Amino acid sequence: MPALPKEMVAIAIKTGASARAEVATAPRFKAGDKVVARNINPPTHTRLPRYIRGKHGVVQHNHGGFAFADTRAHGLGDQPHHVYSVRFEGRELWGDDAGPRDAVYIDLWEPYIEPVA
Amino acid sequence: MDEHSHTEPPSEPALRIKALESLLVEKGLVDPGAVDEIIDLFEKRIGPRNGAKVVAHAWADPAYKKRLLEDGSKAIAELGFTGLQGEDMVVLENTPSIHNVVVCTLCSCYPWPTMGLPPNWYKAAPYRARIVIEPRKVLAEFGVDVTPDVEVRVWDSNAEIRYMVLPMRPAGSEGWSEEKLADLVTRDAMIGTDIPRVKA
Amino acid sequence: MNGIHDLGGMQGFGSIEREENEPVFRADWERRIFALLNLTIAAGQYHVDEIRHSIERMGAAEYLTTPYYVHWLHAAEDLLDHKGVVTHAELEQRMAELAKKGGK
Repeated sequence: MPALPKEMVAIAIKTGASARAEVATAPRFKAGDKVVARNINPPTHTRLPRYIRGKHGVVQHNHGGFAFADTRAHGLGDQPHHVYSVRFEGRELWGDDAGPRDAVYIDLWEPYIEPVA
Repeated sequence: MDEHSHTEPPSEPALRIKALESLLVEKGLVDPGAVDEIIDLFEKRIGPRNGAKVVAHAWADPAYKKRLLEDGSKAIAELGFTGLQGEDMVVLENTPSIHNVVVCTLCSCYPWPTMGLPPNWYKAAPYRARIVIEPRKVLAEFGVDVTPDVEVRVWDSNAEIRYMVLPMRPAGSEGWSEEKLADLVTRDAMIGTDIPRVKA
Repeated sequence: MNGIHDLGGMQGFGSIEREENEPVFRADWERRIFALLNLTIAAGQYHVDEIRHSIERMGAAEYLTTPYYVHWLHAAEDLLDHKGVVTHAELEQRMAELAKKGGK
């Protein structure tokens, strides 16, 4: 691709480059579903932080399909997945000393989570 | 030991970047005019004043506020603040029972079109490490005292959705113009580390 | 990867240092690398995900002790060399030429 010329800079910035992408499969989860974040430890790129792995949360919302960071970082293509907003209670993440009304919300691509009965 | 022995310090970033720029321009990958334009855009033209306008408009117009909370990207686009690092926006409403605060624990993700580039403290280790585990302590350090009955929600922007807080409209601002309301909205209030206040 | 960038919940980092009226860019080199990285993304050289991963691979000590925009410089040099677009050798040579000319 050629260099972005000066005259196109403002419009390019105003347009951006959304990572939204269509997902071929139906969403596996819906709002209210109890999930657990998988315990994955890839040496490659992931956007699943360690403090969330193995923890139990509740799906709040499906943001829609997005290109998968874990594959795009390694030239393995967009491989889009549904991305869910998931809520984790502070005490689930940090133990009983955490505030009873503290929560973390984080966005998880479908491969990051498993259902919980 | 020879007093002249020492480790060479790494080359200054300035020299490396100058070299990099000259090579990229020579190879036709970067237009020098574009470099100046993009710098000017982010240094002078895009900043938290944009987000303050969104907040003020939501305070003044309940129908807009509803649209903003339902579809952040679409409503913010009505005011023209679209684009890079803000393509997919969600706006979080602070209420008397919920206080929202935003972070990117893994790097520095931040909604550029409404808020410009993030401050250094947002990108540095202490905030990123601490806000998810001790949010009330961090908020107190910022001068935001959240009472125990209020729920604190920390939003980690780890994917491509970008978050902006819609702070509560302060008492004493009734009947104000949108322009005057926007002056109350600090950048930190839209991160969640400040609360708009009418100065006595 | 389980790098130092994955900071959520870590302790011992001390107080959050804030600066009043902090400038958008502290030095001209910060402006330039901000521009160069964004423009090379626009030119299709790499995705933002590749940049993030490059920064993650910096090494813990360097990551924590370098200014933010040095991370961006690291990613630009790393990825452009990896893709053979601007090699380390070319960059070193150009730096030597510029230094000789007193081009700081």
